[in-house]
Amino acid sequence: MFFFNLTFVQFAALLGSVSTVVVALYLLDRSRRKQTVATLRFWVTAEQPTVVSPRKKIQQPLSLLLQLVSICLLLLAIAQLRLGSQSATPFDHVLILETSAWMGARSAARPTQTLMAEAQARARAFMKSLPNGDRVMLVRADGLATPATVFESNRDKVEDAIEGSSPGATALNLELALEFGRQIQQLSARRAGEIVFVGSGRVSERENTALAGLAMSNLRAVPIADTAENTGLRKIGLRRSTTAPDVWEIFVSVRNYGLKPRTVNLALLFGGAPVGTQALALPAGSEQEATFQHRTRVAGPLEARLLTRDAYSIDDRAVIELPEQKTLPVVVYSSDPQLLRPMLEANPHVRAVFRAPSEYTAKQDAGLVILDQFRPPSPPVVDSIWIDPPAGGSPIPIRKQVNNVRLARWHSENSLGEGLRSKDISLESATVLEAAPSDIKIAEVEAGPVIVARPGKPKMVVIGFHPGRSSMRYELSTPLLFANTLRWMAPDIFLRRELIGGAVGTVNATLESELKPSDIRVQQQDGRALPFTLRNRTLHFFSGAPGVVRVTAADRELVYSLVLPEVAESRWEPPAGAKRGIPPTRPSSATAIDLWQMLACLGALGLLIDWIFYGRLGRTAARPISIRPNFAAGFVGRTRRKFSFAARSRS
Amino acid sequence: MAPAPLLDRQFLEKLERLTIHWEKSFSGLVGGHNSSRFAGGGQEFLDHRHFHHGDDLRAINWRAYMRLEKLFLKMFQIEPRVPVRMLIDTSASMSATSDQKFEYARKLAASLCYVALVRHDSISIQPFGEGLGDRFICGGGRHRFSPVMDYFGRLETRGRTSFYQTVRDFISNYAQRGLLVVISDFLDDEGCEKALQYLADFGHELLLIQIWSEEDRLPPWTGELELRDAESGSQVKLQIDDVAREKYTAAFDRYAAALEKIAVSNGGRYVGVSTTMALEDVIFGSLVRARGVV
Repeated sequence: MFFFNLTFVQFAALLGSVSTVVVALYLLDRSRRKQTVATLRFWVTAEQPTVVSPRKKIQQPLSLLLQLVSICLLLLAIAQLRLGSQSATPFDHVLILETSAWMGARSAARPTQTLMAEAQARARAFMKSLPNGDRVMLVRADGLATPATVFESNRDKVEDAIEGSSPGATALNLELALEFGRQIQQLSARRAGEIVFVGSGRVSERENTALAGLAMSNLRAVPIADTAENTGLRKIGLRRSTTAPDVWEIFVSVRNYGLKPRTVNLALLFGGAPVGTQALALPAGSEQEATFQHRTRVAGPLEARLLTRDAYSIDDRAVIELPEQKTLPVVVYSSDPQLLRPMLEANPHVRAVFRAPSEYTAKQDAGLVILDQFRPPSPPVVDSIWIDPPAGGSPIPIRKQVNNVRLARWHSENSLGEGLRSKDISLESATVLEAAPSDIKIAEVEAGPVIVARPGKPKMVVIGFHPGRSSMRYELSTPLLFANTLRWMAPDIFLRRELIGGAVGTVNATLESELKPSDIRVQQQDGRALPFTLRNRTLHFFSGAPGVVRVTAADRELVYSLVLPEVAESRWEPPAGAKRGIPPTRPSSATAIDLWQMLACLGALGLLIDWIFYGRLGRTAARPISIRPNFAAGFVGRTRRKFSFAARSRS
Repeated sequence: MAPAPLLDRQFLEKLERLTIHWEKSFSGLVGGHNSSRFAGGGQEFLDHRHFHHGDDLRAINWRAYMRLEKLFLKMFQIEPRVPVRMLIDTSASMSATSDQKFEYARKLAASLCYVALVRHDSISIQPFGEGLGDRFICGGGRHRFSPVMDYFGRLETRGRTSFYQTVRDFISNYAQRGLLVVISDFLDDEGCEKALQYLADFGHELLLIQIWSEEDRLPPWTGELELRDAESGSQVKLQIDDVAREKYTAAFDRYAAALEKIAVSNGGRYVGVSTTMALEDVIFGSLVRARGVV
C-alpha cells in the first residue's frame, strides 16, 4: 500500500491541519447560542430543565468522529492510496513520431513506400511491445511538437493517431520535441517511462551541434533508414531589373544533400513554356545558385524544376506567381512639351501622352494629368500636377508673385521632399501659394511656399514656377521632385517588389533601412496579419504552412512564396547511452489497485450522513408544532347577550 | 429622507366608516353616539315613572295627568360622551427580538385614534411600562390626526412592565369610568391578571388587545441556548427540543386564554393578534367581530 500523489509526511501534515480546522469549527458550531426573548415565564412553565453545568465540550462525539473519518478518507483519495507494490505502477511513455517534410521521401529499404509509412510501422511495433497497463502519449514532431493524444491506455486510440500522422512542411526540431516529452512526463505522468523517438532524425547543423551534449537516461531511438542521395531547390529569388523594369532577374539555389557529387539540369518555365535551362555540377553537401533573366510585363506562373530523379521529389519543383508590371498613364497638357518630355519618358513606370491645351477635357482615362501654365475650364477629376498656374486659375490660392528670389528651403522630412537638398537655386519669377493647414509644403522661398501638395481625392500638387525654365532645369532635384510626386500619387505602381520562393518555417528578411514596427505589415494570402519580430534591420516571422506571405515596408514589398518544403541537411545520431530499436515484448506485470474512487465515495457518504443527522438540517429544521386552528386567527371574546341588548335598545 | 408614515391614506379612508364601540352604559355628558340605559336629556323616549318632588316640571306628561289625575314623568334615553382611554405598552419586551410588535401596536393604536377622531370622540393615550407615562389627548376631528402620528412616532420602548403600578396610577388619576383599550403583549413576569381584574372591578370596560410575534408563541430554536429576558436581563441556560417547544406554546396559549377569560367575564372583550396578521384583517375582522369597533 502506498500513496501515489503525496508522501506520507505530506499526507500527515495535511490531515493534521485539516483535522485541527474541523475540530475548531465543530466546537464553534456546537457552542451555546445566546438569544434575547420577551419573557422567560413560559419556559419556566414548560418545566424545561436547565443544562447540566459544567457543560461538556464535545456534545456529539459521534458527529465529530464521523467528520474526521470522512475528511481522512477524502485526503486518502486525494493522496491516491493504492493497494499493492509501488514498483507495479505502470509506466507512461512519450512516443515522438517525426512528421517533418523529409518523411515524405521514399524509403531506402522499400522504395515503394515513404519514410512516414515506415515510421508508422515502427511506432506500432513499439506499441505492441509494451505491457498492457502502460500509457502512451503520441507527439507529432516537425518544426513544432504537437501532442496528438494524452497519456492513453487505449491502444486503439494511439494507433489511430499514428495512422493519422502525415508529413508536414517544416524540418524536424528534435530538441524542442525531446524537451516537450521530458516536461510532460514530469507534469502528467504517473510513473515516467521512456521517451521514444521514431523517425529519420534529419535536423539542421545548428541543432545537431546542440543535441550533441544531450543526456536523457530514458531516451530510446528507433531510427528509420533513409537514402542520403537527394538534390533539391532551396530558394528562388526574383526582382525587377534596375535597368530594364520589364526584365525579371531570377536566382535559384540548388543543394546536393547527398554524399556523392551530382550534375543536375535546372529548367525554368513561364506559363508552361520553357524560358531557360542550366546544368549545375554540385559537389557533395554543396549549394549553388543559378541566375536567369526573363522579360515580361504580364502576370503568370514561373516554375523552377530540377530534371532529376531522387528520393525526395517534393523539393524538385517550385511555382511562383509573377505579378503584372503596371504603368501609370499620364496626360500632359502643355504648349511646350519638350521641357517635360525627358523627365517623364525616362521613367519606365510612366506612359506619358502630350497634348495641346486646346484638347483638354475634364474626364480623363489617364491616372494623372499635368497642366503646364494652363488654366482649364473645369478642374480634372483625376490626380493632377499644376505647373506655374496663371493668376486666378490656381486650385491653391495665390498669395503673391515674386521675382528673382532664391529657393530658401526644401521640406525633406516628408516623402515628397525626400532627397531634395539642392541649394542656391534662383527663380526668375515664382508664385507664392497660400497653403491650407492640411496641405504639404515641399519647397519655400522667404515669402512663403512655392510647391504645395494637397492630399485627398483627387490628389493635387501645385508648383509655383516652371522647373524646366528656371535654373532648376539642370539640377538633379527636378527629376527627383517628379519621381517623388509620382510615387506619392500612385504608390502601388512604384512599389518595388521582390519575390522570394523558399521553405516554410522561420523566415528572416533583411530590410533596407531601419523602420518602426508600425510601418511594417506582414500578411498572409488571406489578409490575416502574421506576428513578427524586428531586430535592427532583420525581420523574423514564422509560417508553419505553405502559402504566400507579403512583407510591406515603406516603398518595398517582399513577397514570400513559401512553397518549398524545409529539408534539414544533417542527421542526428542518438547518444551512446540511449536505447535503440524496438524493445522485446514485455509481459504484463501485476498492477496496483487504485482505491481513490472508493475512498472518495466513502468520505462523501460520511459527510452526507453527518449533515443529515447532526448538521444544521437536523438541528434547526424543527418540526412544526400543532396549533389550535382558531388560535392564530386571534382570540375573540364577547358577550352575545349584551350585544343583543344593545341592538334592541338602538332599535 | 422623511420616515414613512405609520398608516397610508387608502387605509385611513377605509377606517372612516368605523366607530369605536362599548357595551356598558356609562354616565356622562350629552353628545356621544352610544346610547345609555340612564335616563336624561336625550331625544329618544325611554319610559314613564311617578313624579317626585324636585323633578323637572318640563318632563311631566300633562296629557296623562288630565286623563288620570296623576303626575307621570317622561324619561328620555341619553347618548353620553363617554371617556375612551388607551394604554399602550412601551416596555422592552415589545421589541425583544425585533421591533415588529411595537410597530404593530403603534399602527393599531393610531388606527383606533383615527376612528375616534372621525366621530369626534376624544381618546386619552398613555404609554405604560413600569408605570403610567405622560398623557396625550387626541380629539377635535380628523384634521388633528397628524399630531397623533407624530406622538406615536416619538414613542420608544424601554424598561420593565409593571401592571400593578400602572393600574394603581390609572385608578388614582381617573375616577370617571369608561372604555379602556389596553394594547400590550401582557408579558409581565409578576402577572397581570389581578391588575386587570382590579380595573374591571372598578367599573371600566376593558378591551384587551394582546400582540405577539411568532417567536413569542412558536420559538424556532432548538439545541442549547442561553435565553435572556429582554426586560429583567435574567438569563437561563436551556436544552430546547421539540417537546419543550410544544410545552412552551401550550403555556403561552393557557396564558392568553386566562386573559380572555378576565376580559369576557367582566363584560369586556379580548383580541389576540399575531404580528404576521395584516392590520386591515385585524381591524375589519377580529376587532369588528369582537365589537371593539362597529
